[in-house]
Amino acid sequence: MMIEVQHLHKSFRVHVRQAGWLDAVRHLWKRQYQVVEAVKDISFTIPKGEIVGFLGPNGAGKTTTMKMLAGLLHPTSGKMNVGGFVPFEQRPEFKKMMSLVMGQKSQLIWDIPPMETFLVNKAIYEIDDRTFRRTLDELVELLELQPLLTKPTRSLSLGQRMRCELAAALLHRPTVLFLDEPTIGLDVHTQEKVRRFIAEYNREHQTTILLTSHYMGDVTALCDRIMMINYGQLIYDGELSVLTEKLAPYKRLEVRFSEVPNARWEDYGEVAEVEDSQVVLRVNRERVAEVSAHFLQHFHVYDINIQDPPMEEVITRAFQEELSHGS
Amino acid sequence: MGRYWRIFREFFRACFVEELEYRSEFLGNLVSSFFGIGIAILTIHIFFYQTDRLGGWTYADVLVLLGVFNTLKGWIDFALRPNMPRLLEHVRRGTLDYILTKPVDGMFYVSFRHLVFWRLIDVALGLGLIVYGLAEKHYMPSLVDILVFLITMASSLVLIYSLWMMLMTTSFWVIRIDDLSFIFDSFFETARFPIGMYRGWVRVILTYVLPAAVITNMPALSLLGKWNMATALIAGLLAVVFLWLARRFWRFALRSYTSASS
Repeated sequence: MMIEVQHLHKSFRVHVRQAGWLDAVRHLWKRQYQVVEAVKDISFTIPKGEIVGFLGPNGAGKTTTMKMLAGLLHPTSGKMNVGGFVPFEQRPEFKKMMSLVMGQKSQLIWDIPPMETFLVNKAIYEIDDRTFRRTLDELVELLELQPLLTKPTRSLSLGQRMRCELAAALLHRPTVLFLDEPTIGLDVHTQEKVRRFIAEYNREHQTTILLTSHYMGDVTALCDRIMMINYGQLIYDGELSVLTEKLAPYKRLEVRFSEVPNARWEDYGEVAEVEDSQVVLRVNRERVAEVSAHFLQHFHVYDINIQDPPMEEVITRAFQEELSHGS
Repeated sequence: MGRYWRIFREFFRACFVEELEYRSEFLGNLVSSFFGIGIAILTIHIFFYQTDRLGGWTYADVLVLLGVFNTLKGWIDFALRPNMPRLLEHVRRGTLDYILTKPVDGMFYVSFRHLVFWRLIDVALGLGLIVYGLAEKHYMPSLVDILVFLITMASSLVLIYSLWMMLMTTSFWVIRIDDLSFIFDSFFETARFPIGMYRGWVRVILTYVLPAAVITNMPALSLLGKWNMATALIAGLLAVVFLWLARRFWRFALRSYTSASS
């Protein structure tokens, strides 16, 4: 196992403060503290070479967990092991085998070309010239960096910068990679590029990757396994397809008619949308074949489209279900 | 050690490249350095119209002192000052996380990552002024003088670094950095003059609490042959103690950072 986490807890002490200047003054000498449990009893393992998607709403504890795995935060309690190391001991050997990329924070230096940051990293990670050349060549090719290397970072677009960030983080060939929202703010085309790169890099080097993202596309494209976290608790850990089946036991049936029939749509499934000539139904998986056959036989169907529900919908449902179970 | 020297060289190289982006700054820096030292000499000159001694020091002595001051100031502006606002940015934006995940000492990285090498002009001018002051006095320092000078100068560098680092570390909690370097500057300015000029408790504070006087006066005195091995060793010891304190404080700040931020 590359990553092992057992009964991980993390609580923060934050001070609470009411609005208003009177309270601000009172706050100067008497602070009220509140303990916030960011992560509650999380356990999981990730084998070498696996890409795992880490999902959850804002403030659910994703980043906190990831920071603990990267050795940046001390866990309040629980056991962690990443590649044979205890992360928060911050051993140099541990730091050399992992890397962290945060979509919202940049490690490149604004005023100088990315190549300079790469060279600084080369010195810090003690990469010898030959290995550095080889790794850089590979990354330059995969990420199409050639024209970007010598431009000042400030003149790069967000997408170009992100690609350089990935290269900077991978120069020392980490075996574990933590990606915290690597595609945030990128356009669809660049997101696609970054995803393809991550998938390819993982295949090539068997890098273990833990990925958080707000974009379902990232997760569906890259991960077979997902972990869902909400209110600091792990609420799902398993295959993505199983989750879909469990939480969304229906398919999306989109039908367009050339001649609008007179039918009671409720009889076939849950109605999502009805327009003049088009209807979108959520139909139970077992009934999909039967319903569509029925439509084709009895109505003038112009077009029919059967899809899995969009991931967003599934995830939202998962969290709602969790909520209703929880309360 | 060798490894850190290599990393430092790499920082230097990267900053060199960075500053070549702004070539025009070279001239501006050159002018301001000459102007700064010119004004300083002029001020001393004016003092000596009124008197022939300043806190027991002659004109030539004070020139040597000013040379030491300028050298140290150049060092601060070269390596320390450029890094202070960056640490604040790192803490505020959370990019400190990147530094902490790198296999390099965090304190080393945040203190030396950014170097403004134009400021080495001040170091050169300071050394020049020291030589000029000695020539003015017609004093040729002996080898031992120079050796003690090197020891006390090294102690001063370490002391300044430690004080600066402690101040910098407060940026984990303090948000306004301009005020911080202002504190340091006003304290360091006192080191421009002979300690004998100060009286009473100010003198005590400047000798023992914030050893500004020790920082410039001791190297200057050593070079002028008025050294004292015991005080030189005390300076060395003081430097080590302050470095240790700075290190402890940095560790403490990191601990609170790693257990608090989200």
